[in-house]
Amino acid sequence: MTFYETEMERIRKLCYSNDKQLETVIAVRNYIDHNFEKEVNLDFLSQIRFTSKYHLLRLFKKYYGQTPKQYLTIRRLEEAKKYLKQGMSVTETCYYVGFETPSSFSTLFKNKIGLSPIDFQKKQLLQSHTQKE
Amino acid sequence: MGVGIPVLNQDRALNFYTTKLGFVKKHDVPLGEGNRWLTVVAKEEQEGVEVLLEPSPNNFEPAKTFQKALKDAGIPYTQFSVENVQEEYERLVDLDVVFSVKPTVMGTVKIAVFDDTCGNNIQILEML
Repeated sequence: MTFYETEMERIRKLCYSNDKQLETVIAVRNYIDHNFEKEVNLDFLSQIRFTSKYHLLRLFKKYYGQTPKQYLTIRRLEEAKKYLKQGMSVTETCYYVGFETPSSFSTLFKNKIGLSPIDFQKKQLLQSHTQKE
Repeated sequence: MGVGIPVLNQDRALNFYTTKLGFVKKHDVPLGEGNRWLTVVAKEEQEGVEVLLEPSPNNFEPAKTFQKALKDAGIPYTQFSVENVQEEYERLVDLDVVFSVKPTVMGTVKIAVFDDTCGNNIQILEML
């Protein structure tokens, strides 16, 4: 067994020994992944996992380093990038991935990605043309 | 943005990272004495992160020492995210890639570690 494998075992025992907690957070993340375009909130997520919302919040943050809401936002933005690359309009993309208003979507997108959705789309389309040439 | 990976042989590294891992070559500029500025990128995101396949172990002894120490301890030099570790593992095994850690669940991730034939262990990772 290598040093790395020994360390993996040690860390597994130290951080990942609670199977029930792991099952809960993985199920919640999977739910978000498959329902990111819907209204997903902590009350609902805690109900489907039969746990309190504060406990769920704490667990999710412990295992993923972010809250379910933060994860949902990142997931939606990643999906938005895909649709913008495919040429979908900014407004259509906004609603399609579950954001409520184009203005909040654009502000959030710019804060997290560094470009406004329209500038991101222009850049992507330009790069795609360049790659084809 | 880029990430550097020290490689013992740039020809072999280019072959491995393109034909086995699926990256595409981005920059390949001769720097004299057999060294090259050599980068590859993900096929799907060619304007994304560049992986610099750097010949440092052959030019800077401490780099060689560090690389060897990590390799001998089984520690990955870096990691790549994949959609599905098991599928990627099976695909790479079919291409004769050797794994030191088979697909293994570690809490909220699944990982596997393979030999890049250029002096490094590389980890693939899937979020669960």
